[in-house]
Amino acid sequence: MQCSTIREILVYAAEKFGDGDAIRYKVKKDVTESKSYTQLKADSESFSKVLEELGENGHHIAVTGMTSYPWLVTYFGTVNSGSVAVPLDVSLPAEEMCELIDRADVTVFVFDEIRKDVAAIVKERCPKLKYLISMQKETGDEESLSFWELLKKQDGSYAFMPQPDSLCTIMFTSGTTGKSKGVMLTHRNMAENATCLDMKIAERTVILSVLPIHHAYCLSMDILKGISLGSIICINDSLLRVAKNIKLFKLNMILMVPLMIETMAKKLEEASLLPPKIVKHQVFGEQFHTICSGGAYLNPAYIDLFAKYGITILQGYGMTECAPVISTTISWDIRKDSVGQLLPNCEAKSVDGELWVRGSSVMQGYYKMPEETAEALQDGWLRTGDLGYVGEDNFVYLTGRKKNLIITKNGENVSPEELENKLGEQRLVQEILVRENEGVIEAEIFPDYDYVKKKRIKDIPGELQKVIDDYNKTAPAYKKIYSLKVRETEFEKTPSKKIKRY
Amino acid sequence: MFDRLVGIIGNYVDVEPENIHPESRFMEDLGFTSFDFMSMLGELEDELDVEIDEQEAVNIRTVQEAADYLEKLASEE
Repeated sequence: MQCSTIREILVYAAEKFGDGDAIRYKVKKDVTESKSYTQLKADSESFSKVLEELGENGHHIAVTGMTSYPWLVTYFGTVNSGSVAVPLDVSLPAEEMCELIDRADVTVFVFDEIRKDVAAIVKERCPKLKYLISMQKETGDEESLSFWELLKKQDGSYAFMPQPDSLCTIMFTSGTTGKSKGVMLTHRNMAENATCLDMKIAERTVILSVLPIHHAYCLSMDILKGISLGSIICINDSLLRVAKNIKLFKLNMILMVPLMIETMAKKLEEASLLPPKIVKHQVFGEQFHTICSGGAYLNPAYIDLFAKYGITILQGYGMTECAPVISTTISWDIRKDSVGQLLPNCEAKSVDGELWVRGSSVMQGYYKMPEETAEALQDGWLRTGDLGYVGEDNFVYLTGRKKNLIITKNGENVSPEELENKLGEQRLVQEILVRENEGVIEAEIFPDYDYVKKKRIKDIPGELQKVIDDYNKTAPAYKKIYSLKVRETEFEKTPSKKIKRY
Repeated sequence: MFDRLVGIIGNYVDVEPENIHPESRFMEDLGFTSFDFMSMLGELEDELDVEIDEQEAVNIRTVQEAADYLEKLASEE
């Protein structure tokens, strides 16, 4: 069933799956609780009414936190009221989060109390912000309103019909110049991306959502696609407990990034002396059958390894700018060297080796960044920045990357320039190049030897490591630098005096 | 606790026990990925019957720091 708005997805699921569990989560060790499809729709509509009551309908509403029921209610209540949701990475440093809230013209900030540090400073930093809503507070106070209190007051239905081509979500993604860009996605972009392909996944499939919820891949494929199929979406409470939760929730399927698949492979191989069927039962449970992989490149050897245990890996490819899926593998036609077939709502071509895509999932542009938008979109075609081509039967093959971004194994995009600029501010760093090396982010630094002399620094690598350690203290986990190389000579430069990257 | 960690580290990375030292850093020296590290702590959480705080866990860098943290949690139980 193809839907063109997020409201259509939710209404369809509530009608069809009603009192069936939609969202399941842990309340304490080994104890779970669930919310039904009817409840999810009702609570979302109450949140829409909350926004109306506050006079904030149609405005930009930022939400940050780990995946949770209140997060999802906020998201659906926002987009289905004609407002625009701005999901923010819960691990961002406070100043950075405030900068995004301000740049995205946010008027309401819904936050998990784990980010009360942001709540404490955000009003001062963001003059356009009017309301703060805490997901946990039982009663509102001077600092913030209570999500649950507001919801209770606004009980009742809300039947706004959003237009397919109206903006519904701004998602921030790393820009190649170091400044993150707000990808503007419409209802159609997101709803059609999630529902245009029938992957023959059974209704009521039990899935575990382990990826960060501010990522398009998680929001589209775990949540929107999951809901369109009446899935029971279980929420992982911590990355520490993925293996345990896989068994606790008795999963059928999971979306993962390659980094996680590699660790799970180790768990399977650890017990490889036992028959594969028993190993699979021990690690994933008898009812488990499929892993969807996305966000970064997966070594095809893992597809064979998991097949040995009766587990299918479906690999996909996409980017936030395309809401996000561009191509995916389907279980009945797997070609290991390809990243799957184009979605039916997407066409692609190769221009000078670069893959360009067009279709109903391609973004409107970057929020308030006309130059970057013009660079990325040409006559309706999105330049992916990836080198590749489309072969027979619309299978997509990737051959390299044109743009300068580090894609880590957990699917995070990191701009080397952003890190280089930050570290380059340090007096001891004269020139710096950041890149990925053997799965970790590495910085190669040419120190300022005049400064070394002046300050009589003896242990140059030690001092540079301190610079890196200081940076790592506040950097989100995926932007931490784990390898340092010290140069004795300057970097080779291009004619325009930029450091040669390759 | 250190010996216990040395035992479990081998399930995630291919490093000989004699090459694991208290000051060895999980990611930089032992070749752990961030998710390997989290999964290992999750395993230990069960074994030691403790509850690990993910926010605190991300600040652990060396084997000794992990041993100290787990020791502290176990003694609080």
